[in-house]
Amino acid sequence: MELEALQAVLPQIGELGASLVAISPQRLFYGRAVRRRAALEFDVLSDEGLKVTQAFGLAFTLPSYLEELYRSFGKTLDKFHGEPAYRLPLPARYVVDRQGQIHAADVTADYTVRPDPEKTLAQLRGLSANSERRIASNPTLADG
Amino acid sequence: MKLQEQLDAFKASFESGAPPFNVPRAAIEVMHRATEELRRSGQAERALGVAARAPAFALPNQDGQIIGSADLLARGPLVITFFRGHW
Repeated sequence: MELEALQAVLPQIGELGASLVAISPQRLFYGRAVRRRAALEFDVLSDEGLKVTQAFGLAFTLPSYLEELYRSFGKTLDKFHGEPAYRLPLPARYVVDRQGQIHAADVTADYTVRPDPEKTLAQLRGLSANSERRIASNPTLADG
Repeated sequence: MKLQEQLDAFKASFESGAPPFNVPRAAIEVMHRATEELRRSGQAERALGVAARAPAFALPNQDGQIIGSADLLARGPLVITFFRGHW
């Protein structure tokens, strides 16, 4: 649902000069399926082994009782992820500026609560307003 | 409908115990317990936040092509969304 909502604002993200990627621990075969099913036009990246997820501080291991429940539902994360551990990312959305600094972060323990894409667009607009102000006060930054 | 309204509607349907999901009450309680424990762990607050440097990455996309954050950032700001999966 979140990916579809982000797809709906992909043109606006592009107009603001930004890119969008989604990252999940799933093997890339599943990323392909997600992308096709939801008609996504942005890249779905596969963080098998959750190294990048971990670098952002987002990886967590499911408690055994939840792993059991998921298995009973046929949600075999070991197969989806290509690792025996049942680990997942906390749902998170980041806006990173051109210098690689995090401008906005929305991280939650509750996967049923997600920020509206409009919020992300507003954050991107804030970023471009900032950089225009910087350029106005120091025109040599215009190339940067 | 706004994203959160869609999520709320889905959650209400999923947790109702009725079709199409038919999820037993006990299973819903297990999921609530796990979310509550994760919330209490404070991990969301410890994750990277505003003003931190975003870790650089290079990961395969759906076609196996390696996508690097440095290349994306050379073009402009980057929105990254972390999600669980297709299931």
